[in-house]
Amino acid sequence: MRSFRAYFKKEFKEAARNYKYLILAVGFIFWALLDPLMLKLLPLILKASLPVELLSQFTNINRDYAFLNLLKDLFQVGTLFFVFSLMGIISSEVSKKKLVLPYSRGLKPEGMVLAKYIHYAITVSIFIFAAFLTNYFYVKSLFNSGVLSIQIVLWSCFLYILYFAVILALLLYMSSLFKKSIIPGLLVLAIVYGFNFFNQLSLIRNYLPNYLILRAADLGVFFDTSLIPTFFISVFLIAIFIFLTIIRMKKIDVA
Amino acid sequence: MAGRKKKNLIKVADLKKSYQRLEVLKGISFDVKKGSVFGFIGKNGAGKTTTMNILTGLLRFESGQILINGMDFLKNKIELLKSIGYLPENPVFYEYMNAYEYLNFIGEITGLKTKKLNFDILHLLKVVNLKIQAKRRISGYSRGMKQRLALAAAIIHEPDILFLDEPASALDPEGRLEMLALLEELKRRGKTIFLSTHILNDAERVCDEVCIIEEGRILLDEKLSDLYDKYIQPVFDIEFEKELTVETEILNKLSWVESIKACGKIINLSVNNIKIGRAEILKVLSGLDNYVTSFQIRKSSLEDIFINITNQGRKVK
Repeated sequence: MRSFRAYFKKEFKEAARNYKYLILAVGFIFWALLDPLMLKLLPLILKASLPVELLSQFTNINRDYAFLNLLKDLFQVGTLFFVFSLMGIISSEVSKKKLVLPYSRGLKPEGMVLAKYIHYAITVSIFIFAAFLTNYFYVKSLFNSGVLSIQIVLWSCFLYILYFAVILALLLYMSSLFKKSIIPGLLVLAIVYGFNFFNQLSLIRNYLPNYLILRAADLGVFFDTSLIPTFFISVFLIAIFIFLTIIRMKKIDVA
Repeated sequence: MAGRKKKNLIKVADLKKSYQRLEVLKGISFDVKKGSVFGFIGKNGAGKTTTMNILTGLLRFESGQILINGMDFLKNKIELLKSIGYLPENPVFYEYMNAYEYLNFIGEITGLKTKKLNFDILHLLKVVNLKIQAKRRISGYSRGMKQRLALAAAIIHEPDILFLDEPASALDPEGRLEMLALLEELKRRGKTIFLSTHILNDAERVCDEVCIIEEGRILLDEKLSDLYDKYIQPVFDIEFEKELTVETEILNKLSWVESIKACGKIINLSVNNIKIGRAEILKVLSGLDNYVTSFQIRKSSLEDIFINITNQGRKVK
């Protein structure tokens, strides 16, 4: 418990002082602010240069389309910000020998790993939640029509939080395997984007966490039985990646 | 303490460690006595830091046994680490923290109580001379300041055993003297200190026992006093009051005298048996008409012994 407490406080200080909160906030909330504005202003900007038929596509945007645009950006660009800012979560500590003094003082690896995971899971959840709410209020005031409601936004938000929780656990484990931070970063991105392909295969897609992203974009449709294996597998993956990271950190030579 | 045999606190037997194909430790064995300062000396790459990292639980090893206070280190690692403090050669910190925050962080991991910890940190910062810079970020510290902060982190929980890897390497002369004084103080308080150093003068000043390691093998492990006796050079440097006349001739006749070099009022006398020489020389000199103004047995420094042993690659143990 004391290792957990010490590392939780340390992660908080580190994220604040090394601008990680700021980077993550930009990665998530920035798009929530920018997307609706861009969709609203784009027809005005392009008015003079686009033919009328093409321009009508931009003027007929409703709330649902604007919200889906945020979901797409969070998955495509938000993931990049998230992975690149946290890819050294363990690897840089090992490679720079920052763990030598804490380990020599009897640091418990399980405390450290859990503190890192829980801290960033909470952080990312707050930023995703803030991004979704901000976007919702913007979209509601800038656009008309569509089925979008606060319930739909919160449901999609929950699915995104669960998805990023799985990615965080995967990133944590990958980061414990390599000393160079860029390797786990690229591997996780390859997995995240590569697995999105499986969303086209209806037979297996609900057994993979990427199905959460697909379902978050299915506006107006809430929980159904197809999500049960997805939830189960997502939680299982989080637990297994954290467990494997702890095992790895117990056996690793930190000096 | 004289005559009382000290208990072995650390016992290392046939310790082996490899990095892939490179065998870094080739079955080293040594004992460290409780309350002593054990100097661990060797060239760069000899295996000193690897040994220290193993003994502080930071590296695994292939085979061998480590007993600390009679307990198997592998089986009781967490328990034993509570009584160990480690100062690495190049300590790395979370540089966005200040010294106070870092010591608080280490103290919390160690399990020290918050109220006592706050008091201890202030005291420690004073001891390692960092009180003024306590609230400054570590990223702005010099190497010497970082080394002093690492020492504070190593002794924050009052450990019985301290592993110090080149503790004075980044310090200025004044800081080095302060560090040596602190080591002497810790020794006086009964702490057992395992000291790796390149600065042999420092080892000579504070160590009770030295162990020389070379290419992963222990070449020598002896009490410093025994070492001086063993490696003492069998040469007497004698200066007389008046110019030499018959003295050389008289001394040359003695059976235990090997050779004599004479120049002006000075004689350098080599003997074939240092024990007999030490016992007899003063008797002979007192019988001469020429008074002796200066007399000394030529002593080897630890540096001479180290160079001599490592160059010969002599395996004592």
